[in-house]
Amino acid sequence: MADTAIWNFRQLAHHELDGFGGIGEGMSIQIAKDGRRILWLAHESAPKNFTAVDVSDPRAPKIVARADLPQSHMRSNSLETVGDIMAVAYQTKEQGLQPAGFELFDISVPENPRSITFFDCSGPHSRGVHQLWFADGEYIHMSSSAPDFTPTHPRDDQFYRIIDVKNPSHPVEVGRWWLPGTRQGDSEPPPARHPEGADTGFRPHNTNVYPERPDRAYLGYIDGGMIILDISDKSRPKMVSRWDYHPPYHGFTHTVVPFFDRNLLIVSDECVRTEGADWPKLVWVVDGRTETNPVPIATCPLPPLDNYMKPGARYGAHNLYENLPKPNAWKSDRVVLATYFNGGLRAYDTSNPYQPAEIGYFVPAAPERAPSGAIQINDVFVDERQVVYTVDRHVGGLYTLEMDF
Amino acid sequence: MSEASIPSKWTSEAVPDALFGGKDAPLFGRRQRRARGPRLPVIAVTGFLGSGKTTLIRALLAKPEGANTAVVVNKYGEVGIDNALLRSSSDVTVLLGNGCLCCNLRTDLQETLRTLFADRARGAVPSFERVVIETSGLADPGPVLQTFATDRGLGREFHLQALISVVDAVNGERNIARMPEAKKQAALADRIVVTKSDIADPAATRRLIEQLGALNPAPVELVIGGEIEPSFLLAEPSSPARRFELGGPDHTHGLCSFALIFEEPLSWAGFEQTMALLTSLRGPDVLRVKGLLAIRECRGPVVVHFVQHVAHPPVELEDWPDRDRRSRLVFITRSLPREAVARLFDSITAVVACSAPDALARRE
Repeated sequence: MADTAIWNFRQLAHHELDGFGGIGEGMSIQIAKDGRRILWLAHESAPKNFTAVDVSDPRAPKIVARADLPQSHMRSNSLETVGDIMAVAYQTKEQGLQPAGFELFDISVPENPRSITFFDCSGPHSRGVHQLWFADGEYIHMSSSAPDFTPTHPRDDQFYRIIDVKNPSHPVEVGRWWLPGTRQGDSEPPPARHPEGADTGFRPHNTNVYPERPDRAYLGYIDGGMIILDISDKSRPKMVSRWDYHPPYHGFTHTVVPFFDRNLLIVSDECVRTEGADWPKLVWVVDGRTETNPVPIATCPLPPLDNYMKPGARYGAHNLYENLPKPNAWKSDRVVLATYFNGGLRAYDTSNPYQPAEIGYFVPAAPERAPSGAIQINDVFVDERQVVYTVDRHVGGLYTLEMDF
Repeated sequence: MSEASIPSKWTSEAVPDALFGGKDAPLFGRRQRRARGPRLPVIAVTGFLGSGKTTLIRALLAKPEGANTAVVVNKYGEVGIDNALLRSSSDVTVLLGNGCLCCNLRTDLQETLRTLFADRARGAVPSFERVVIETSGLADPGPVLQTFATDRGLGREFHLQALISVVDAVNGERNIARMPEAKKQAALADRIVVTKSDIADPAATRRLIEQLGALNPAPVELVIGGEIEPSFLLAEPSSPARRFELGGPDHTHGLCSFALIFEEPLSWAGFEQTMALLTSLRGPDVLRVKGLLAIRECRGPVVVHFVQHVAHPPVELEDWPDRDRRSRLVFITRSLPREAVARLFDSITAVVACSAPDALARRE
């Protein structure tokens, strides 16, 4: 696909972020004190830590701040802001390296983010934090390793941790949960591994908690499937249900977004292999009426594999727009926005959840310096103005769009 | 039984919202910004042989606004076709074989559009934004209108945005008087393009425009050499059926067009049953009905569209196009006058009104 393919979106702008256009899975809007709307972006990989873009006028995004990582053996793939506080996840390439954890920043002056504290998660078996959820200003829910955690298998090194950041200078862990059998000393046997090459670990990716159900955490647990936890007692999370559909599917459950009012759960996989080796990676619609027995009822339709299969590029599901429970985020319990790497950004209407209907797509032309020669759309965010922000994983940077469906 | 739960002939395809609707379960699925929702717009161009359809379409494709258009050409009994000319200026052109779109080729049209949509989704053809169908001069536009309502596959992907009728000023008056297809093409159109006024007698052009006004309240545009403001052909109707100034009654041809306006919101069940009754008794004569309705059970206005006995799925819009919140329906009928239809609506509205809960309780 050489040209941009666009349907029912309108492109407003494209900013390649001055040569550092590889963006990860952290996209968060801050309204600065002077009224500017700042989009904070986490980079996919070193050398950049995060970039702040003024998107007050989504037709003319402007970079206002950018930070480098302290080490090249780390990445800060995930971030969130609440008010003037930003949390950034740090994950190292190998276990045992530093810094591994998360850092809190004061971003009251967006041009000058100031570190408040660093929460250290490093340890002999730790890579630190891959992803964090920070929405209420009080707790960070994250997928993290810990110094005192020895996994039964090295790929199961991260687990679910809840950190109280009410005092941002002194974050304190208040609870944790891991899939029984993944920590040394567990009485349960370790889970059966996925086949070599497709073994991506029994560990959480996204750990979403919403005000509609403050007593629940919705976890995409990678090779463990979807897991719902009861966190009414944060010090002792308990599993409510688990939907594990692999094998035959290839693992890497990524994100779970509940449509509370409609008793639906939208669940995404992440495509992690190129040339369609883990096809199909899907966005699932799950009947959540009986919380203890989630039932998949549909998947969002995708163009066939050979449309977007390119050597060295991924094509399959990844991130969902997550209905962030924040004032500057759009909310919809009918429209699903999902990113598919070379399949771009795609929108679905789930009004009939048994037959999700594609209602729009945006597949930008491959950026000039794309290593695979393909676009790799990675994440999506929508603000309350209904401006859509989507990013490329490698070089393409930021695209701003309007929904037209 | 609530009104909304009355089994509905036209809402059954919508959504099983009883299970997953949530508190705000719209009657017809997600509220849309516009009548076409996310569907691809289809502009069908109809008009008698030699009226200037091809010239009009070619001129449109030559303009920047006409970019990203797929063209489907259906000609009857013509060889060589102007297809090659169209292909040079449009991204995608598909030629349907000899035959008339209204009958044997309707399936071909469905197949063609399905293939176009699938090819577009897999990148085999450019990501076109609209489809223009050039129908054969002899085509009855009714079946084309119905295609997008009845065929589930097409109705989900495509929306008939406008039926354009091309009438030439030289022969139009005579064609409309003598040829039932020509008259129907003019009567059913959403917009009418009058061509060749430069070579027609000005008095004849004036008479033609009057004649058209009596048949159909649609906007009329005079066009020479196909040169037209593209929005006249392409624009989304921002407010369906907003024009009520109709011409005088069309006594000679038996076709009538009229509007009904309702001050109070309608119940969906009442509206639906009225239309069901009307179409079951006089379906063939209810040529086209378009409307924007205030429905008691819906927050936004509801777009409705009927072609004879066939109803397009209703679409609830997010918002009203202006401050006028009254329901309005425009009818194109054959030998079915306004009075009769208005009385039917009044009667059923009265029946629905007295089925309020306390009335039911008294009866029990």
